[in-house]
Amino acid sequence: MRGIPPALARRAASWLAPAALAVVLAAPAAHAEDAMQWLLRAAAAARSMNYVGTIVYQIGTHVESSRIAHIIDGGRQFEKLTNLDGPARELIRTRGEVRCYYPDAKLVRVEPRTFRNVFPSLSGEQRDTLSRYYDFEVVGDDRVSGRPAEVVVFRPRDGLRYGHRFWSDSETGLLLKARVVNEAGAGVEQFAFTDIKLGIPADPALVAPSWPVTPPDWRVIEGTPHDLAVEDTGWVVTRVPPGFSKIMEGYRKLHGRPDPVAHLVYSDGLVSVSVFVEPAASARAPAGLVHQGGLNVYSVRRGDHLVTVMGETPGATVRQIANSVEHR
Amino acid sequence: MSEDISRLMDGEVGGVEDHAAWHALRQRQGMLTWTCYHAIGDVLRGEVGATRDLSADVAKRLAAEPTVLAPHAPAPPRPAAWAWAVAATLAAVAVVGWTAWSLVDATPAGLARVAAAGSMRSSEIGPTTVSTDYLLAHQEYAPSAILQGVGPYLRDVAVTREVRP
Repeated sequence: MRGIPPALARRAASWLAPAALAVVLAAPAAHAEDAMQWLLRAAAAARSMNYVGTIVYQIGTHVESSRIAHIIDGGRQFEKLTNLDGPARELIRTRGEVRCYYPDAKLVRVEPRTFRNVFPSLSGEQRDTLSRYYDFEVVGDDRVSGRPAEVVVFRPRDGLRYGHRFWSDSETGLLLKARVVNEAGAGVEQFAFTDIKLGIPADPALVAPSWPVTPPDWRVIEGTPHDLAVEDTGWVVTRVPPGFSKIMEGYRKLHGRPDPVAHLVYSDGLVSVSVFVEPAASARAPAGLVHQGGLNVYSVRRGDHLVTVMGETPGATVRQIANSVEHR
Repeated sequence: MSEDISRLMDGEVGGVEDHAAWHALRQRQGMLTWTCYHAIGDVLRGEVGATRDLSADVAKRLAAEPTVLAPHAPAPPRPAAWAWAVAATLAAVAVVGWTAWSLVDATPAGLARVAAAGSMRSSEIGPTTVSTDYLLAHQEYAPSAILQGVGPYLRDVAVTREVRP
């Protein structure tokens, strides 16, 4: 630095620091941690922020808009989702339960469900998987819903997963836009806020149902509480796609099915794939593949059982899993 | 056309009903290709015996029931259990896709079902399938649910068109 004025040297150092940081971020060894930090920040924001906004869901040329509100009240999360197109539908998520309102049918469906904290419990193995099967990259800056956003991508390294592009709020980390892309780089599915208010007061009115909690003349369909028994089901996936590992296994009672359904969940750290096995006697589904946007579902018969595999992966992945399900 | 059908089988075609792959399925050659691909898959999976050529029957039935392939088509009156299943399907577009798939299911069980279906409307074979039960159960463990809260429920709530209690 001899011959360079100290003040200029300091200025240069301050300019260079972000560049040096960018180099560190781009280093392969740092990818797993960067990806994890990004995911954890986005997940924390999704759990802790109060917000209302309009979210647009797009599959191909099909577009649907919904209003969404999320508040934290007394340490608990409350959420309300109301669609703006087509017949009115409303979904209220409160203490460990999800209520779906279908006013045209005068129907309420109550599901004693909650969300599991998948990301914070990611094992070291899954962290390795993230970096081994996806290239994580901070692409740059953009704007979503009028707010500065950071764009990151998870590029799959094989054909068994989709690519994911996320726009997170620069200030809070909240996910503002998400796009799933196939191997050709084409968008499969997209969620995006078109307007959002962040950091609003936790007003319970924002997440109150538009009808009485249980309207008197409506039909109510209630899910069975405490419906998941974690245990060894005896069902195994013999050819698990690379990078996926089992994160849950058990039996659950589902509405309208007399027999418990075996439920196994596999994850590669970014997406999950569910395997459901039910006796064919109570099975209502024929075999085949169906998908909506980034979600593929494949059913196949295994003797006197029906295997249904569902996941945010290409069709090939759910097919491979479904076709390798066996009973020990 | 074969490529379209292959992509359809791999789930890479959107639920858009005017996609070329769906048009391909309305043609005899498309149905033959589809059935052939299924048969290949069945043989590869060791599910041999699935040799009956369904394509002509299926194409005829699809042609006779254009409303089945139309999204958001009004459902004829049905028993409550079936109606709930429709409400519980992922989406009307998914119902369309599922119906087409189930009709050409070439597994022995599928063949038996289609044969037994005889006088059934194709819509009675299809939509009682992917239910909200599975979707909700799956989403408890979907990492995207952690990122987006109820966002993934948009798949279910926003596009579920038909409810008949």
